[in-house]
This record gives sequence, structure tokens and C-alpha cells, in this order.
Amino acid sequence: MMGHELAEINLGQQSVHKETSKEVISIENLNVFRNGTQILKDVDLRINSGDYVGIVGPNGGGKTTLLMALLGNLARKSGTIKLFGTDIQKFTDWHRIAYVSQDAINFDNSFPVTVRELVSLGRLGRGRPGRRFKKEDWDKVEEVLEFMGLTGMARKRVGQLSGGQKQRVFIAKALVRSPELLLLDEPVAGVDAQNQEQFHKLLSVLNSQKGTTILLVSHDLAVVFCRMSKVVCVNRDVHSSELTPDLDPESFLRQGYGEHFHFVFHKHDCEADFSKQEVTINGGLK
Amino acid sequence: MSHELTIWDLPRLLGYQFFQFALIGGVIVALSCALVGLFLILRKEAMLGDGVAHTSFGGIAIGLYLGIYPLLTALIVSVVAVLAISYMKRKGVAHSDSSIAVFLALGFSTGLIVISLAGGFNIELFSYLFGDILTIDAFDLMTVSVLGMVVLGFIGIFHKELLSVTFDAESSRLMGIPVRGLETGFSLLVALTIVLSIKVVGIILVVALLVIPGLSALQLGRSFRSTAMFSIVFGTTSVLMGLLLNAIYNVAAAGVIIFTSTGLFLFVALYKRLE
Repeated sequence: MMGHELAEINLGQQSVHKETSKEVISIENLNVFRNGTQILKDVDLRINSGDYVGIVGPNGGGKTTLLMALLGNLARKSGTIKLFGTDIQKFTDWHRIAYVSQDAINFDNSFPVTVRELVSLGRLGRGRPGRRFKKEDWDKVEEVLEFMGLTGMARKRVGQLSGGQKQRVFIAKALVRSPELLLLDEPVAGVDAQNQEQFHKLLSVLNSQKGTTILLVSHDLAVVFCRMSKVVCVNRDVHSSELTPDLDPESFLRQGYGEHFHFVFHKHDCEADFSKQEVTINGGLK
Repeated sequence: MSHELTIWDLPRLLGYQFFQFALIGGVIVALSCALVGLFLILRKEAMLGDGVAHTSFGGIAIGLYLGIYPLLTALIVSVVAVLAISYMKRKGVAHSDSSIAVFLALGFSTGLIVISLAGGFNIELFSYLFGDILTIDAFDLMTVSVLGMVVLGFIGIFHKELLSVTFDAESSRLMGIPVRGLETGFSLLVALTIVLSIKVVGIILVVALLVIPGLSALQLGRSFRSTAMFSIVFGTTSVLMGLLLNAIYNVAAAGVIIFTSTGLFLFVALYKRLE
């Protein structure tokens, strides 16, 4: 449990107002192959500034691959990807993007690094390698530590923390970059339900108050349909939709999960306490 | 030195140039080994240090045989070895422990062949195998200082990037940190550190000076910064102890250095368990 309310601190985002017209991500005709198998097929996707996007889909469907493509981490692909209007081949403003991986919290617990040290490493990759951190770097680190409720444990070794606390450290490490685009690959493994709820609250705050565009790979379909503004379903093919009241979640998800997929979901579920909510998923993965 | 000396002769010893050279050289070696060694431990590449050190034996033998400054030939052979080992790892030719084994054997075999061609061992080769801190001359000290400045300068400038890459290379790369360049740079530092340590601890025991101070520091340090400081303190204490006992009682410095650092390790490990 976080044990504190998320402080509303200006994270230094260039704009806290949503610029919904501005395209942050634009993918056209993306095809990705690995060892002769097609992982992603004819992907067309547009994400605007301020979108809060849930990426769902069965395991092995290509969700992580899609994130890797956006991070310029795929060698063999065809099609075009534009980030903030610039072709990814020419894109150099990587400090505008932050990424938290699926297994970020699975590291060697004996590694000698404190919370403050690790979070400060998020400031790397801006400017020339080897530059000395300035006051503004350390101010940013302190600001984010406070925002994430980590100030009290800043001098602790990261390996000593609980799963939920470690998760917050890695989110903090991403946030010190003042990212305009935050990519999260379901970093909730080993984190209990209450901390997951706090995690989702935090993301909502970042999105609504700071205007951060967020892409979150999630298996928690209820969270996606309750909290987010857009859903992307990835299973080799990619389908996306704005989360409007007239969207039928079940028929939308069947495009990715298959015809036998059942998802019992009512919009009023979103009013309920998340940590106690039960979502019934029958059929499931094809 | 004769063994009538006692610890009270230390002020007098400090006046001798050979002792000053040994002291300065020893401290540079201790600092370099403490920092490079800590990164090696955290990267789980401790045996890279051992492998490259043994490989450099071939370089020393070639230098002695051809009448070239042996630390220069050792440096060339070590640099080639670390670059080849990291290339083999990167290209998936072999895991680093296997490629280290290959180069270790290759370097040592080269030394063996060269020695047999030269007609056998000589006392100078022995000093490279086990170090001889009190024989550091002006040219050795200059070599050690230049290499030491490169090693300490690189770590001083890029320690944050190195820490990030050591903690998580993949996410560092995605953050725009030049991981490959830093890893290659660090491999070269390992080669440089080993070569500059040869005169002090010798080829056989250099890995111990690389690894043991860092291991002791890991018992105590909470942050990376404090761990690095502890590593420097343990490394420097061990080298100074080796130098003193060598100068005063004529005990082999390398042996004392390793005994001191191991003693410190056992002490802090025990202290940590009892705490």
C-alpha cells in the first residue's frame, strides 16, 4: 500500500493541457517478422497527445514487439513509424520517451544502488554522455521522489524494497525524464492488488493532470475499459478503438482474442472498488 | 631491503626515491583495481580479469624475448584479448567464460613457447609473474601513471553511464545511452588496469586485487557511491600493507596484499553477519 495520497506537483511537463490534435505516434503498414514468422501484420495506428491507451491481446500476440518497434528496437521490419512527427530512423529526441519493461523489478537484489541513485540514472541519455548532473537534474529527481512518495526511502538500497515499492522506483526513474510519452509493459508482476490499484491511479493522474501520453500493456481488461481513452488489441493484426460509451467491449475484443472469447463487463463496474471487483472472463485465449 | 629495518624506519624510507615510486605506483594500482574490479563483480565478469591477466603473460614473454618493453607488449596482447572476447560474446560465437578460457590458454601457451625458444625462465619473468613493487623505476611509474589516468579519468567521467549499463544494459540502450561504446571502453579499461598492476601484484594474483576489495565493499555499502569508496579504502590499505611489509621485512608484496585484502574481507563479512 502506498500509504499516501499522490501529491499534485508540477512535473515540469511542457504542457499540462491535452493537445489532442497532435500526433505522438503514427504507424503505417508495419510488418514485423521473427525467424520467418510474422509477428505483426499491416499495422496502422495513430496515437494522439494526451491519449491513455491500453494495449491488450493474448500472450505471444505481439504486444511487446509493438512497444519495441516504437522504441526503435527492431532490426527487421517494414513500414513507417513516426514519433512526434519524425520518422523513427531520424528520431533523436529519445528523452521525450520513457519506458518501463515487464521485468524491470526482477534484478539482483544485492546490487548496491539506492533509490535516489537509481532514479537519477533516468536523467541519462539527455545531452552528451558523461555530462555532470546539474542542479536542475537533482531538483527533478527530488521532485519526482516526492511525487511518488519515495522521499522517505531515498537512501535505501533498492533491493531491500517490496515489489510495489520497487515498481514505484522504476516508474520514478521513467518520470525524471519528464516524458511526453510513457510506455509501460505491464510492470505489475509481483505487485499486490492494492499496489496495482495505486499504480493505475498514478497513471490516471499523470495522464489527466500532466497531459502525459501513456501506452500501457495490460492483461487487466477491466482497468483498460474503465480508465483509458483508447484500446489497442494486438494479435498479429492490430485493432484499435476510442473507448466511447457505444463501444461493445466483447465484440471489439473478439477481433483479437477470437470468436470464443467472452468478456462479461458492464460500464457500472467502473464505479465499484477496483481492488474488490471481479471480472469474469470465459473462453479466453485462442 | 635488509631485514634489520623496523616500522620506525618508515620516515627514512619515505625519503628514498625507489620507495616513493613504489608508493605512488601502488596507490594508482589500488585505486584502478578497486573501481574497475567493483564494476567487474557487478557485471559478473570477474574471471575476465583473470583471463586477460594470464593472456598478458604471452605479451610479457614476447617483450622479454624481443627486447621490447614488456608492459607494452603485454598491453597490446591484453587489448587484443579483451576485444576478441567481447566480440565473440557479442556475435554469439561463445559465452564469455568459454572465450576467456580459450584466450587464457592461448596467451599462456604463447608465453611457454617463447620461453622455451629463449632457453628457459629468468628472474625478470618471475618478477612479472608475481610483481616486484620495489623495482618500479621512473619509466614504469610513468607508464602506470598514464594508464592510471586513463582508467580513473574514464570512470570519473562515465561512472553514471557505466552504473546504468551495469544495472540494466537493455533499458540503458533504449534510453539512448551508447551501451556498445561504453562496454568496449570498459573492456579496454580492464586490459589497462591489468597491465598497470603487473609490476605491483603480478599476473597470477592481479585478479585477487581486482575482486577482493570490491567484495568486501559490497558487504558494507548501501549506495553505489559508498560501495566504491569502501572498495578504494580496502584496496589501498591492502597495497600499502604489502608495500610496507615488503620494504621492511622483505616479504613478497603480492602475497601480503592478497592476505591483507582477504583478511579484511573475512573481517567485514563476519562483522556483517554478527551485526
